[in-house]
Amino acid sequence: MAAIIISDPTRTTRPRKATAESLWSRWLIISIAVGFMGLMFVLPLVIIFQEAFRKGWEGFVQAFDDRATTHAIWLTLKVAAITVPLNTLFGLAAAWCISRFQFRGRRFLSSLIELPLWVSPVIAGMVYVLLFGAQGLFGPALKEHGIKIIFALPGIVLSTIFVTFTFVARVLAPQMEAQGQAEEEAAMTLGANGWQMFWRVTLPKIKWGLLYGIILCNARSMGEFGAVSVVSGHIRNKTNTVPLHIEVLYNEYQFVPAFAVASVLALLALVTLILKTLTTTQRGAA
Amino acid sequence: MSIHIHHISKTFGSFHALKNVDLEVKTGELVALLGPSGSGKTTLLRIIAGLEFADAGEGSIQFHGTDVTNRSAYERKAGFVFQNYALFNHMTVAENIAFGLRVMKRPERPDREDIEKSVTELLRRIALEGYGSRFPSQLSGGQKQRVALARALAVGPQVLLLDEPFGALDAKVRKTLRKWLRQFHEETKVTTLFVTHDQDEAFELADRVVVLHEGDIQQIGSPQQLREHPKNEFVADFLDCVMI
Repeated sequence: MAAIIISDPTRTTRPRKATAESLWSRWLIISIAVGFMGLMFVLPLVIIFQEAFRKGWEGFVQAFDDRATTHAIWLTLKVAAITVPLNTLFGLAAAWCISRFQFRGRRFLSSLIELPLWVSPVIAGMVYVLLFGAQGLFGPALKEHGIKIIFALPGIVLSTIFVTFTFVARVLAPQMEAQGQAEEEAAMTLGANGWQMFWRVTLPKIKWGLLYGIILCNARSMGEFGAVSVVSGHIRNKTNTVPLHIEVLYNEYQFVPAFAVASVLALLALVTLILKTLTTTQRGAA
Repeated sequence: MSIHIHHISKTFGSFHALKNVDLEVKTGELVALLGPSGSGKTTLLRIIAGLEFADAGEGSIQFHGTDVTNRSAYERKAGFVFQNYALFNHMTVAENIAFGLRVMKRPERPDREDIEKSVTELLRRIALEGYGSRFPSQLSGGQKQRVALARALAVGPQVLLLDEPFGALDAKVRKTLRKWLRQFHEETKVTTLFVTHDQDEAFELADRVVVLHEGDIQQIGSPQQLREHPKNEFVADFLDCVMI
């Protein structure tokens, strides 16, 4: 009489995956994740913009009507304009070496590329002071020739290059390794020289990864504080980049200008995030 | 064009991929390099193409009497077809086929219309008319390999090298392409070397078959010679025939 009901077609529950959690634990995990992100990332961002506009739009605009501020922005753009192309080139070369050549110390080189991620940026700055500073290794020689590296633009650029070197190479090396070089070999047997092979075959293959690396490199080079702080000397209108300038403003209790300038950096971060997401989807699609 | 391979050795670390190999391929011949995996057949093919270089020493490779031992792949311009097609995925079928013509140096490079014409002609030849604007990802394996063949042929190579060209395809497509390749070779008489581990394929297609084992050439001969007079136990065993 009592037939065993194996399946009831009227029930419309979604098929449950073996790995799915129970409803309660799912909710718990989601709320922890969302709550943490909100508290740690979204709230600070909101506060930056709120403080920046505390005295309204006028107060915000006024913050930029200041020579020191515009100079800092200009300097930061200059540093990024030098650093990003150089690191794109270095990154490409390094990724090329690691993914295409077999040589002794290849593993070591590929871990060395990540060095900037483990080393405190302050140390990155200190190294250059010890090398090129007045008391540094090359200090006297440089002074003799009237070359100023520390407390000047070259020092800022050098330390920024150190800190942001990793991004392009780190994105490209695994991608190029995974893609292999069959297409490059095909191009060569078809009579393409190295240059043609790079522009017509390799670059189109890696362009989204490259762009992704460049975006990250740019964001970091504009936002770097620690390394630059050591070598810059904080000379207003001379060697203060945007992050350093924000600190100066804040320490002088100029809260609205400080947050207004900070909001520009925050905006940069948001734009970076959007671009990063876009390039990642493109990379996935490619 | 003839190919002379003289005393070629290749080691990867401590692994001897090729041991003092000598081989001569006559103009217009269709030769199969046959052997189990790891026998060195692909390495030999890649060395002929210039994608790999033999160990320094007395070894040499000549294309029609010209020494090309130290020439790079792009100077040798041997048509090469890869097992996994190696098509340029970001280019259309037509752009793939035109690639070799477009990278030519100015004076030799055909103009736009001539390139278009040869692409259309090649597409007809591989029975893929109207596929020119598609991308490789929209093609089947057999179609991809035909495009790869057309791409290699576009520059009019003197030598055609095929590395397990049908290895990744299913049996039926394989048979059709085999027939097509044989026919193509009859028409053009381009010197052709192809690598395979499939004895049927080698025997059906090739004028001569080179049997390789552990980097050594075991025997060279026509399919009939090999079948009737296998030189040693390995050849007999590999070809699955009884030694007399």
